[in-house]
This record gives sequence, structure tokens and C-alpha cells, in this order.
Amino acid sequence: MIEALTLLFGLALLAATAWCPPRWTRILGSLLFGFVVGVVVRFSFGGAGGVVGGLVAAGVAFRFLPLLVLRRVVFLVPALVLLIFATTVLMYKAPGNPFANERASSPQVEAALRAQYGVPKNANQFFGIYMRRLLVEGTLGPSIKVQGRTVEQLIAPAFPVSLSLGLLALTLSVIFGLSLGVLAGLKRNSAADYLSMGLALIGISLPSFVIGATMMIVFSLWLGWLPVAGWGSFKHLVMPALALSLPSSAVIARLARSGIIEVMQQDFVRTARAKGLPESWVIGRHALRGAVIPVVSYLGPAAAAIMTGSFVVEVLFAIPGMGQWFVKGAINRDYSVVLGTAIVYFGMVILFNLLVDLAYAWLDPRVREERA
Amino acid sequence: MRRNLISAFLVLVAALLVVGLTLSRATRGRAAFSFVNGTEPKTLDPNVMTGEPEGRIAQELFEGLTRLEASSLEPAPGAAESWEITPDGKTYTFHMRPSARWSDGHRVTAHDFVYSWRRMQEPALGSEYAYIMHMIRYAEAFNTHAAQADALEGPIVKALDELVAKYHGVVPQDAVREFDSKQRLHGVLKGTPNPKLSAFLLRPSGDSSQTELLELRRELKTEGARRRALHDEAVRHFGVDGGAYAKDDHTLVVELVAPTPYFLELTAFHPFYPVPRWAVERSPHAWFLPGSIVGNGPFLLADWRVGDRIRLERSPTYWGRDEVKLNSAEALAIENVTTALNLYLTGEVDWLPHNNYPLDLSLDLKKRQDFYVGPALIAYFYRINTTRKPFDDVRVRKAINLAIDRESITRDVLLLGQLPATHFVPPGIRGYVPPPTAISYDVAQARKLLAEAGFPDGKGFPKFGILYNTLEAHKKLAEVVADQLHRNLNIEVAAYNQEWQSYLESETSLNYDVSRGGWVGDYEDPNTFLDIWVTNGGNNKTGWGNLVYDRLIEGAANVEKFLAEPAFLLEHAHDRAALKLLAEQVQKSSDAATRLDAIAKLRLALLAEAEGILIRDDFPIIPVYFYVISGLVKPNVGGFYANLVGADGQTRSNLRDLHPLRSIEMKAAGSTPAGSAR
Repeated sequence: MIEALTLLFGLALLAATAWCPPRWTRILGSLLFGFVVGVVVRFSFGGAGGVVGGLVAAGVAFRFLPLLVLRRVVFLVPALVLLIFATTVLMYKAPGNPFANERASSPQVEAALRAQYGVPKNANQFFGIYMRRLLVEGTLGPSIKVQGRTVEQLIAPAFPVSLSLGLLALTLSVIFGLSLGVLAGLKRNSAADYLSMGLALIGISLPSFVIGATMMIVFSLWLGWLPVAGWGSFKHLVMPALALSLPSSAVIARLARSGIIEVMQQDFVRTARAKGLPESWVIGRHALRGAVIPVVSYLGPAAAAIMTGSFVVEVLFAIPGMGQWFVKGAINRDYSVVLGTAIVYFGMVILFNLLVDLAYAWLDPRVREERA
Repeated sequence: MRRNLISAFLVLVAALLVVGLTLSRATRGRAAFSFVNGTEPKTLDPNVMTGEPEGRIAQELFEGLTRLEASSLEPAPGAAESWEITPDGKTYTFHMRPSARWSDGHRVTAHDFVYSWRRMQEPALGSEYAYIMHMIRYAEAFNTHAAQADALEGPIVKALDELVAKYHGVVPQDAVREFDSKQRLHGVLKGTPNPKLSAFLLRPSGDSSQTELLELRRELKTEGARRRALHDEAVRHFGVDGGAYAKDDHTLVVELVAPTPYFLELTAFHPFYPVPRWAVERSPHAWFLPGSIVGNGPFLLADWRVGDRIRLERSPTYWGRDEVKLNSAEALAIENVTTALNLYLTGEVDWLPHNNYPLDLSLDLKKRQDFYVGPALIAYFYRINTTRKPFDDVRVRKAINLAIDRESITRDVLLLGQLPATHFVPPGIRGYVPPPTAISYDVAQARKLLAEAGFPDGKGFPKFGILYNTLEAHKKLAEVVADQLHRNLNIEVAAYNQEWQSYLESETSLNYDVSRGGWVGDYEDPNTFLDIWVTNGGNNKTGWGNLVYDRLIEGAANVEKFLAEPAFLLEHAHDRAALKLLAEQVQKSSDAATRLDAIAKLRLALLAEAEGILIRDDFPIIPVYFYVISGLVKPNVGGFYANLVGADGQTRSNLRDLHPLRSIEMKAAGSTPAGSAR
């Protein structure tokens, strides 16, 4: 009950930041910015450096950072704390605990383990311990199911794996999706349109494990061209990247198609045509920009999701990526792992939404003017 | 500008690809031998680990006083070169092998074992397997008695006071029972010599008076003080001059509480491995990671990529290095059984241990030359919640047991030659003669029993659920069992699932009617299957308890204790004459060897008596079937024994699918037939 009230209060506070007056946003934003920089610097250069770095960063932020960024900072820092709190409460509400096992252990063993890993029976206490670890010790805490390592040591080798796989998959989706979608949109109601949209429908409806398994049978077991699973060479990447890219290419194709259809009916396209520009120039230079805006807004969250790893694809192809920790952490009730992956995902979503905002400004002059 | 952006993006992709691949690229080539190891090992600290994947790696990195010979799985000299056993079977003197070395060059001494064993029993380490060493003198007191004393003097006495204050005068039976199970009194008071306390634990039903409880309070405090004294004594002696201690660098003396026939097998098991004190103390929670780990086994930990693979390389310091044929081996952490099978079929791995391929394909895989199958030391069963109506009635429990057609389950559902279980202890354990069982497929008798319990033709029997943890195989079986019960007894049964942690919680809090269970034997002895059912035991989770059963398990753990006071058990035993005879044989035996032999026999007879209670009298469980071990191994893998030949020339099955890499060798390639499963 108290947890629920705290959550509500936190949410209200978070919503209120939107109405925060510019002056206060500037002050609060720079302070929080300085704090975050200070914490980071502290773990790189020691305590005194942290204080100095934090103060300098706060000053620089106050003087130079645009209000738009400071407003985000004011929102982000409390949102992160709230995320940790809400996740903690939810984890503790779930039945079971990280020390439950098929073979019962004595209460004494459990108490020893709880003390060793800093996992008390109470959610609020754990929240306190976790925040202290994060801010004072600068660690995401020890994993309980992969002993001897901290969560950052688990994520550090897995993240680049998911990132490179995700980037490749994302590039493939953009290439496939955009070309199919634009083609379909331009040749509306033609055979090419039906074919592309049919492919997109298959891409959306077939889950990646079906696509992946089919590819495995054909390319590995029958033809023997590609290794069936594992990680370590470019060959290992081909099938998982394809399997990962198909669903999002399908979505992109559909978004691009409707985007281009809508844009092609706009006045500025008619103007461009009227002044005698060649069709390729009209499409490439003018129409495409407008048509990809829905695609770009989809790409933000999609990129965050793809790059933090897909459990299904990783398990199927035995890839040591991030996706496994999202699922294993939750299944094992490995609290620190759950929180660590949530924080990374949060960071990725924020980062990509920021990139999407920047891309909007570049693609759409109207947005640029509003922001200016 | 757009072109710039696209090229920037491509550069980024390329850069990240390179980064990702360099970071995770296997710097070494394919290992000489690789196998699928299932789940990612939780730890490689032998004092802490519990699971099979961990054990498979630990047995290569460390070596106990003894090791298991691959061809027979019988104990052979390991870090100890030789040993002597005293005539009473209670004191072992191990002589360390002078050539045994740690991987950093230190000698392996008796002190290393003492340190490791004492560390294992340290309460603060929180080792789940600590109990497996409790037959060593002082170990149990060292490990458990301080916490028990704290509980007895603190929360337990306090809870008792509250109980007395709440009810003036007579305290109802249910309240006392709740106090008992909430405070886990059976666990805390385990093995108490105090007659009043054991009487309380074994008390018949009935309310308790205030004076009785006040007397109990006094006894609990006395017991607390007694345990604290024992703990203090253990701290002074365990590993110093008692229990397990080093006489000098080369001599380890181990004193047991009671003769334990399988002790030399245990010393080959990971809880008994030595750990390097200097490495552990440098980094207590991470000493087993690559770079800091020091081992004394045939292999070294060369690399450990979490979620991917563990790389082992032949140790240049291992005393038996010339007998080790493999230069390197890899253990792949793969949970997806289909992926595991694909890797095997495409030749990426050489061995799929049991449970690591899709069971749905067993019929196809069975036809392959490289498939092996044999009985396992694993039981599949259902727990019955004996605290719920109508399952508190033994007739109902028996009726359910009799109404299940296990033959048809193993024949039509499981398909691999699993054995229908009418016992709980899997067959094949040397020397163990299973007791007669009352479990069979007998629908007529089941109906009769149900009618006697007040449910003629299943009328009025409440609808109940069979709980299982989410897994296709469990679902299939639960549905078949539910259907059989419905058809045979005309009762409503539904199978339902919960994810793992919820399922564990439901079982522990007795929030179920019937629930799936599985038990893997830790060592080849019935005790590992039977001691879980003692009253309020942590793994019991049925609410069932039986005083005779508890005493039988206690007697088997310490036969001398039974011999000192055999009357109670002899009175309640089924096969009194046999027990009496065996007891006399022990007392009559003149020389040490025959005495030990007689003790071993008597011990197994006591365990058989205990098993009889489960499957003939009380039925707190429904045994369903015994697993088989089945796996795939490439034909060019030598030194791999799916069937064992003992020193006595008798063949038996490799019940635990144990294959020490020490003796594995790869024969010349080219003999691998190209085949596919379909």
C-alpha cells in the first residue's frame, strides 16, 4: 500500500516536471546534471575529482546547455530512480526469491546468502542497498545466479554482441523495408505492391524462431553453408541477423508505403512536378524525406529493443548476448540482473528517442522551426 | 548530406561489428573435445555448487582424496595415494600423494583438505550441500548448532511464550502444531537426546496444557545451551585435532560419527574437493574465475565466457598428466535442446549428455548408432499434500496410487524404456534389496478403498488439481495421470502449471493438492532418496511425517545408535526377524571386515524398512517412473563408458551419466558416419 502511494506520488512528481518554470528547470537540471557527472567522474578519478567535476559540470550546464536538454535531465533522473523503485517493488511482489531452489535450504543458509548478496527480505531495504551501491560504490551489484561476477561484468561482454547483431539487423531492415515499402507505395495496386505487402505480412506474422529454425534446416543441415549456431565469426551472424531483421523490415515496409502514398498527394510534390523536376528528383529529394518520418519514429524504440538483444533469437542460435539476461534474470529472480538490464534498456530507449527527435528536426523543416 | 550520413552509419556498423567480434571471438581453435553442458554453471566453487553442470566442470578442475575410475565409477586413489580404515569403520587415515600439485605449483597437502572442509561447514558460507559432510565428527555441530541455539534461545522461546499468553489454560492441538512447523522445530531439534523434547516431537494428537508447555520451554532452553556448548567444542576441535585434521602435511585423519560404507565414493564428489586457501582468501567470492583460480585436477580453466562456453586445458602440474589424453575440452552452456542437437548433428560438439536433446525425437534418435540409453538414479513422482482433505486419509492416497497405470505411461508416453515406479528408490543400487510394495495397477481395489473413505464411485470427491512446473513433458504426463484418475475413479482432476519460482513457493507453503516432483540421487545409496521424507524435512513438502520413519533414517545414519536401543524399531518393523538377525550378526562378528560388512547390510535393511513405509503403509507420494540416462556421443570418442564394469567383473549401468574427461580420448577422425536424425 505504501509502495503504491509512493509510486503514485513519484509519477505525479514526474508529470509535474513538464510544468516546471524555465528558471527552475535550468537550476534543477544543471544540479542533477552535475550530480550525474560527479558520480561518474568519482568512479573514474576518485572522490575529490567527483566533487570538482560535478560542480564544474553543473556550472557549464547552467550556462551553456539548451533548455530542451535540461528539461530532459530534470525528467530523466527522477524517472530512473522511479524505475528502480517500481521494478524492485514488482520483483518482491512476485512469488519466490533468488535463493529458492528445488532442494530446500535451511533458513540459516538462506540468511547467510541474503547477507552475503545484500538481498534483505524487505523491498524498501533492498531499494536502499541498491541505490547506495549505485551511487556510493558505483556498481550494479553482484549477480546471484552467476556467482563471482557483478551485473556490469555480465552485461559488458554481452552488450557489444547484441549491439553488433542488432545494428546489422537494423541496417538490413531499413534497406529491405524502405525499398519494398517505397516501391509498393509508388506502384500502388500493382503486382509489385501486392507482392511486397504479401512479403511484409509474412514477415510480421512469422515469429523469428520459425524463420530461424527454417533457415537452420536449409542453410546448415541441408546445404551446410553456415554454422548452425554459435558465435565467433561473420558466418555465425548471417542467420540470426536475418531472423532478427525480418519482423521489423515488414513493419518498416508498411510504414514507408503509407508514408509515400500520403506524401505523393501533397501540394509541395505537385509544385515540384509542376516546375518540371524529373520524377526521380521529386521522389529522392522531396517525397522521401516526408515519407520516412513515420519510419523514423518507429525506429527509435525498435532500435532500442533490437540492440538490447532478443532472447528468442539468442537462445535459438546460442548467441551470448544481452537478451538472455532479461529473461534469465526474471526467471531466476536475480534481482540485480533484472534491475541492471532494466536500466540499460531505459538508457537505450532514451538515447534512441533523442536521436529520433534530432532526426525529425533534420527531416522536417517545420519541426526545426518550432524548436528554434 | 544524406550520403554523408549513410556512410557514417555504415562506418559505425562496421566498427561495432569489429568490436563485437573481437570481444567475443574465440581466440583459440576448436577444442579437442566439446560437449553441451546445459545451464550456465552458477559457480565453480566446489564448496558452494550444487548442480550437474557445475559438477561436470569441477571434477575436471579439482580432485578429491579419491576419484572415480571412468570404467567402473569405483573410487580410485586421487590426491591421496593410499588410506587405512580402522576396524570400527569410523577413522580413515589418508596418505597424501607426494607428486600431487596445485596448478600454481604448491603441493597438495592434508591442510588443504582440512581448510576446504572447514570452510564448507562455515555457516557464513551458506553452502547448500554442507549436510553431506555431516557424518564427519564435529561437522554438524560446527555447521548448524550455533544457529539452532540462537533460534532455541530467541524466537522459539518467544513464540512459545506468545502461545502460552494467547491461550489461558489449554492450548489447542492445531496451535501447537502450527508453532511446531512455523519454527521448524523438527529441523532445529534434529537428533536431540533429550527424551522430553523427542517425546514432544513425536507427540500423539491432543491439546497441551500450560504446565506441559512451560516444561517444554525449560527443556528448549536447556537444549539451546547444550547445542551452544557442542558448537563451541566443535569450533575448538573441528579441523584442529578432531573431525578431519592434518597430522602433518602428508597425513589426513578423518573421524566419522558412524561407519559410512560409501564414504570413499563421497570423497570423490565435489563438496569434498580441496580449495586453495591462498587464492580463496585473496578474493573470497570470485577466486574461481579465470585468472585467479587454482585447481589440482587434470584440467585448467583457460577461459569462461558466461552464456557461451568454458574452455578447459590439460594441466601441466597434474600428477597423472600422462594419463590425460585430451589437450583441451569445451563445455557449451546451451539450454535450448534443439540447438544442442543441431550442434551435435553438424559436428560442432562431440557429446550430448542426458536431458540435452529434444525428448520428442527420442524415438528417431534411438535408432542411431551413437545413441546410448540406460537406467538412471532419478525418480519422477507426485507429492500429495497430506494436510488437505481428503488426502489426509491414507485410503484416498492409496487409492490414487493404485488407479494409475504406470505401465501404459512408460510404454505409450515416455517411449525410451523408462521403468514404471512401484518404489521410490531407483533400482540398480548395489546391495539394496527393495521392500515389498503395495503399489500396483489395481482399479477394483482402488475403487473399494475410495468407497471405504466415503466416496463410493467417486461421489462427493472434491475436484482437485495436479500442479507441475511449466514444461511440455510435465504437462503431458500430468494430463495423462489426470485422465486415468478420472476414468478409473470417476473423480474430477485438472492439471495446471506454474512457472518455476511460483511452483516452488506453492510446494513449500503446501498450497497444492498433488504436485510433480523429481529427485536425482547425489550418490549411489538409498539414503539420498529416503532422508528427504523425514518429518518437516526441507524437501518433504507433503506435510507428512512418521515417527517410525524418522527413527529408521536416524538408525541408518548411525547404526550403532540403533544397536544400542533397537527395541522401538524392532517393535514397529515389518520384517522384524531379518533386522534382528542382521543386528546379531553385527554384534557377533569378530573381525573388522565382517563387522563393517554386517553394518552395511543392516543399514540397507533399515533403509528398506523406511522405504516400505512410503510405498506400503502411508503413501505420501505417488511414484510414477524412473528416468533413463540417454545421450549421444560421437563414435570416435574413446574412454567413454555408458556401461560400467566393476572390479568384481560385474557390469552395471552408468546411473548418473558420469564421464570423467581424464580418460576420454579422441580416436582418429574419419570414422564418424555422416547421419541425420530424421
